[in-house]
Amino acid sequence: MAQAQTTEHVGLARVLGPAHIWALGVGIVLVGEYMGWNFSVGKGGAYAALMACWFAGILYTCVAMIDSEVTSTVAAAGGQYTQAKHIVGPLMAFNVGLYLVFAYTMLEAANAITFGFLIDTVATMSGHEAGSLDQRPFIILAIMFLAWLNYRGVLATLTFNLVITAIAFTAVIVLFLSTSGIFTDSPLRHTELMSGPAAMPYGWLGVLAAMHFGLWYYLGIEGTTQAAEEVRSPARSLPFGTLAGVMTLAIAATLTWYVCSGLMPWEYLGQAGVPLFDAARLSGSTFLMVFLGIGTMFATLASANGCINDASRAWFAMGRDRYLPGWFGAVHPRYRTPYRAIIFLVPIALIFALGAPIDQVITFSILSGLLEYTFMPLNIILFRRKWPLESINRGYEHPFHPLPAYVLLGLCGMTFFAVFLGYGTQLVAMIAFYIVVSLWFHFWRYRFVNRGAQFTMPWPKPRGY
Amino acid sequence: MDLWNYLEYAAWAASFLFGLFIVIDWIRTDSTYSEDFLTSSREGELEALTEEQHHHRG
Amino acid sequence: MAKYVAPVQGKVGQIIDVIVLLIMAIGALYIPLWMGLAGSSKDPQPVENPTWESLGQNPAMVEQWEKLGYSDAASAAELITARFDYSFSITALIVMIVVIVGYYAILLRFSEKEYREVIAEKFGE
Repeated sequence: MAQAQTTEHVGLARVLGPAHIWALGVGIVLVGEYMGWNFSVGKGGAYAALMACWFAGILYTCVAMIDSEVTSTVAAAGGQYTQAKHIVGPLMAFNVGLYLVFAYTMLEAANAITFGFLIDTVATMSGHEAGSLDQRPFIILAIMFLAWLNYRGVLATLTFNLVITAIAFTAVIVLFLSTSGIFTDSPLRHTELMSGPAAMPYGWLGVLAAMHFGLWYYLGIEGTTQAAEEVRSPARSLPFGTLAGVMTLAIAATLTWYVCSGLMPWEYLGQAGVPLFDAARLSGSTFLMVFLGIGTMFATLASANGCINDASRAWFAMGRDRYLPGWFGAVHPRYRTPYRAIIFLVPIALIFALGAPIDQVITFSILSGLLEYTFMPLNIILFRRKWPLESINRGYEHPFHPLPAYVLLGLCGMTFFAVFLGYGTQLVAMIAFYIVVSLWFHFWRYRFVNRGAQFTMPWPKPRGY
Repeated sequence: MDLWNYLEYAAWAASFLFGLFIVIDWIRTDSTYSEDFLTSSREGELEALTEEQHHHRG
Repeated sequence: MAKYVAPVQGKVGQIIDVIVLLIMAIGALYIPLWMGLAGSSKDPQPVENPTWESLGQNPAMVEQWEKLGYSDAASAAELITARFDYSFSITALIVMIVVIVGYYAILLRFSEKEYREVIAEKFGE
């Protein structure tokens, strides 16, 4: 093709606004309100789940504040990966990049599994013989369609996400309003359902254990930073979109808890597959049931969609720096998307969506997220130490440093303990994997990376070097 | 055979079509442009780049 | 300091690296599954002839159970009595703490070493 193009550059397209950032953040997470959070009720009862919800809310507020400060300054695709590369060092960056890709790809697989389950439920309700539906084509279709959408361009992808996320969020609000007793008699029975031993069935240990799935209320909100290279004004849009996203989720999470715990005994709620859909069913209104069914479907699609977006950006950024084979660092000249990263992650998502049980996939995702949150306090402490406030311009400065960092570190410790109570073996297997991979990177892969060139921010030399 | 069996086939077919589109476009893109051009994106160059692209578009 | 020039990796090398990474990643998820070590399930505690009262359910709870499709106490008994086992050994806890802290220590140490090189090359000595 054109001779001139050999000297030109092709990069990602800067087309997104703050609403897209909100949709990317909330879209990934909102599915957690439709399924998964309620396992925390099973872990410790309804009150424990509410406490876990708020503790996790604090954890994610710290995450969002820290992330907003760093990312409004380090605005590049790859998000936390690029942050780690500039602030902590290459090996940490490689690990963080992998956390991101695994957390999102596993979450995408979990969403596709849930989507298949939901289609099956609808088929059974409409008279199809129970259990005879082949869920696989629907799981594959969800992943292929969203991969295609992502391949074709980021603006359409995230506009689609904005619409379906807004509908899914509205469904939660409508369910709350129509069961709250503002308009009609409320069907909610909190006092009776949470009396006696049902209040705290495992005591305070249950509150700790509930933290494991408490993360599920918000997991993925930190993915907003992946869009840094595609948003029109990152220094303003990223903090705004991320912080608005955390607030939206804290509201949605509390409302979800309130409605569900007022309708279902905790023993049922703690193992339900689609709790909000069950709540709508119990409310007795067909309209609500259909609306929340659609909400569940949209939430799974929005989440998988955002996950493809985020995982591919992280994979792309690592390829671009040669942390991974440089072949992945390509941008589509017409659609301006990291198309090879998108293509490569499709079969990976399919392997896990079709071959692994959902609770394992979710745990893999939560653990990768947790390792990433543990990195963040280290990141911000080093960031403030190497580049004090007056040394570079920040788009956003978070208040009360270093308090949020220590709170976040403490809450991460708590969550590690909670995961240990249920899934200790996975935790160790997972960390063993990251240790092996780190050694592989340090002693082999890193030779392909140019040293000074990977530091791309126009910052002064860090203090102490 | 009821509606859902047909939907299963439709889902297989649609998945295949989306996959086909991606693969064809991928092969076409890779053979049209040079590897250096495709992998020319660099971190931190974006501000200048967006300006530049506006002039060259079309 | 002399500028480090990274070798360019060939196609075959790139493919091998991706395969190695994939094997490690899939291994991390599937090995605990194959070894049957994964996950924690609840243990149901069987009760003879359960009634709603003996399961500790009050009238409001019973009403909701019935709406959910559990028409008698026996059908819900397994769900209601199942409990997680949260007992753990102190040794296992210590092992976990050592593994996590050790992992981050390795990460920070190696990263710091590589980071000094990056800064030295970027900003000159």
